[in-house]
Amino acid sequence: MLVMLRREGESILIGDDVEIRILAINGSRVKVGIAAPRSIPVLAREVKLLRAENIAAAEVSSKDAAVMVASLFRQSPPNES
Amino acid sequence: MPQCLTKYHGEMEYDEKATLHFARGLFGFEAETRFLSIEQPALRPLVFLQSLSTPDLCFVSLPVFVVDKDYFLSIDPDDLEAVGLLSKRQPTIGIDILCLAIVCIQNGGPTTANLLAPVVVNRQNSQAIQAVSLNRRHSHQAPLPAATEELACS
Repeated sequence: MLVMLRREGESILIGDDVEIRILAINGSRVKVGIAAPRSIPVLAREVKLLRAENIAAAEVSSKDAAVMVASLFRQSPPNES
Repeated sequence: MPQCLTKYHGEMEYDEKATLHFARGLFGFEAETRFLSIEQPALRPLVFLQSLSTPDLCFVSLPVFVVDKDYFLSIDPDDLEAVGLLSKRQPTIGIDILCLAIVCIQNGGPTTANLLAPVVVNRQNSQAIQAVSLNRRHSHQAPLPAATEELACS
């Protein structure tokens, strides 16, 4: 992985069309501005993962499966203190 | 009372005041902003999150403490503000908020719960968000405790 040190306000260019600018640094958080053509999807890494997970959760579930999951807890009721 | 068609519970009457409002939708379902939480005594502790605009969309979820009794909420202050909560402190689960983990039931695979992206509902105003936990040890595919025990026994 290429590693570059950048200061606030500085940019990185990727190819001719993509610019990544460090807008602000606040403690452990970095505000990043990204300029890219609409054809290039830009999203936080975890968002891609979580979209896939929700889609899988929505597709596979059936009432029978839900009943089975509920039965897992009936045998050993959780301690909800 | 308005009625809605649900995926698992047929046609249901619901109270508009009980509707959960997800201003940003859920990951992968960004246009789905209104859900009903449905609980059935026989299916406790499951909580069904039924979309009010898509009858065929219903998530199965569990209170986070059912999945992990030591669950510690850690979400971004911006996410707290988005649902009208104070951003200075983490809200208390069960008092300020409901906190649910969406369950993924896989055919033939393990059933898991998404502790990385809990559904957080402000109990005062029913505004809801699927937040991302800042605690990176929270898994999007956490095993269910009962399932873990089963493995330990076999």
